[in-house]
Amino acid sequence: MKRDLIVSLVVLVGIIALYLSLGHIEMEGARVFPRTIIIIMLVLSVLLLIQSALQKALDAKKGKFPVGRFFTCFGLIIVYFVFMESVGFYLSAFLFFVALTFILGRADLTLRTGLVRAGSGLAFTIVLFILFDLLLKAQTPKGLLI
Amino acid sequence: MSEFLQYFPQVFTFNNLIVLLLGTWGGLILGAAPGLSPTMAVALLVPFTFHMDAATGLALLGAVYTSTIAGGAISAVLINIPGAPANIATLLDGHPMAKKGESQRALYFCFFSSLVGGLFGMLMMIVLTVPLARIALEFGPSELFWIAIFGISVMAGLSSGAVFKGLIGGMFGVLISLIGYSPVLGVPRFVFSDVLTGGISIVPALIGLFAIPQVFALAEGLGQKVERMDYKPKKGMLLKSFIENMKYVKALSIGSVVGTIIGIIPGAGGQVAGLIAYDQTRKFSKKPESFGTGNPQGIVAAESANNAMVGPSLIPLLTLSIPGSPTAAVLLGGLLIHGLFPGPELFIKDAAVVHTFIGSLVLAQVFMCVFGIMLARYSYMVMSVSNLVMIAAVTILAVFGTYSVQNSFDDVIVMFALGTLMYIGQKFGFSASPAVLGIILGPIAEDNFLKGKMIADTDVGVFSYFFTGQVNIIVILLCVGSIGYSVFMEVRTYLKKREAAL
Repeated sequence: MKRDLIVSLVVLVGIIALYLSLGHIEMEGARVFPRTIIIIMLVLSVLLLIQSALQKALDAKKGKFPVGRFFTCFGLIIVYFVFMESVGFYLSAFLFFVALTFILGRADLTLRTGLVRAGSGLAFTIVLFILFDLLLKAQTPKGLLI
Repeated sequence: MSEFLQYFPQVFTFNNLIVLLLGTWGGLILGAAPGLSPTMAVALLVPFTFHMDAATGLALLGAVYTSTIAGGAISAVLINIPGAPANIATLLDGHPMAKKGESQRALYFCFFSSLVGGLFGMLMMIVLTVPLARIALEFGPSELFWIAIFGISVMAGLSSGAVFKGLIGGMFGVLISLIGYSPVLGVPRFVFSDVLTGGISIVPALIGLFAIPQVFALAEGLGQKVERMDYKPKKGMLLKSFIENMKYVKALSIGSVVGTIIGIIPGAGGQVAGLIAYDQTRKFSKKPESFGTGNPQGIVAAESANNAMVGPSLIPLLTLSIPGSPTAAVLLGGLLIHGLFPGPELFIKDAAVVHTFIGSLVLAQVFMCVFGIMLARYSYMVMSVSNLVMIAAVTILAVFGTYSVQNSFDDVIVMFALGTLMYIGQKFGFSASPAVLGIILGPIAEDNFLKGKMIADTDVGVFSYFFTGQVNIIVILLCVGSIGYSVFMEVRTYLKKREAAL
């Protein structure tokens, strides 16, 4: 399969790079086990390469990778991380909840659904605050706010 | 058995009962929500148990484990989407019954069968665990090394359906576990960034590998419409269904026995148990053609099997540190964060905790059935929760769970990076379970390998030490057998495909 061919090549390159990095481990004793694992992975990726070459003709069509939704979701989570340390866990959680439900669910966004989503976000954040902060007394990133 | 009975009254403490009650309700709701797997639910909860004593924390995880599988039957029956992989076989007859307007009857069969199977599995667990632990006490580093390798090889072969990818995933997990300072020699390995100096902790890895790919998968499926069956309750159905359920002795027996056997085999899990039990019950039926059209025996076999698997899947975990299912692998994380190291000594050093945990699981089976029947009526509410809300909630809980273990933002970054990598990996046919097994069993394998090598160097030599001895040879043969079987199945599938293409 073409996909498997790519995967096995990527794994092969990664494994060779890791094998070369073994030289940075100072003691021989600490290298033995990782080297064994890397060699096994090397053999396995060669076997995967052979298998994918053999099965190329029997390739089944796979679904498309949902690039748009994946990157939107990925981007929102990154922004959430960035804000979490500066504005605090609970406020950033609320903002993330609202932003994600509004942006990913923009197709059916109306005044009513918008209010329901914002309300759900607020209720969820309050439950988190009561559970984590008041009951469990768990540490969370505080930031400037809460 | 006597140890179990000795500690059983400790299950009935106020804290334990509250946690079991909440865990069972929560597990049923999470299980009924399509898209949230039991493994992910338990992974998300592991950090919360950090704030509880070990027995209570484990009781919570155990209750969620067992009830998410039973709760998964609700969405399998009503919307034809299994709430958990273990419920795949349930929908084959469960959904056709719902289509005929028999949702209530189908769900009652699910919970009664789950109870019977679950209790049978727990009984087997109670009977077998301590004797097996006693045998395991005799094992030295070479045997423990091979058992760890066996755990990785079995899980790798069975979980993904693609043997080489499964094994690469397992080895990738082992490599991840090696990041940081070598525990024996104290030198850094694969520390390419400051974030990795302390190595990768088990909880961020578990949450990342199981929760983040599901977040992206839920985002991927946004906007998909599902056909939802109505739940119309009828009076007198409870007793009628219970009596009818108990009449299906053959299906209950096959399900319970298959579930127990599959549970003990490391790596197989509830999905395999449910499908095999379903298939065997159909083969032994006088009317095999009625299966798939709403035959209650199909539900009974599948549900008794997937819950009978729960207890036995913990036998290899508690005695040998080898999880019997992906969710059991996550439970191992729960044991480790409480400073409990599975293995034969666990039953000596922490007997009270382990037996209270086992007792809690027995009680959780009963709670699961009672609350499941109560929840069935309101299950449509659970299934109405939008995927958008689930994406946001799971992400926030994953972040909190990861951060709270060591109060480290670096862990959050590691969790997200691993999860994103696994999501992409899943698109190419890899699965999270072998990688998790590798992360858990990697240090056990290395530690015992190095200890064994030290003994071997001063004694009989490495080859003789690791490759001779009854137990070593049996486990090596099991490793070769499990990989060989997986390769054989792969070749057979390839040949069938080629034949069909010609």
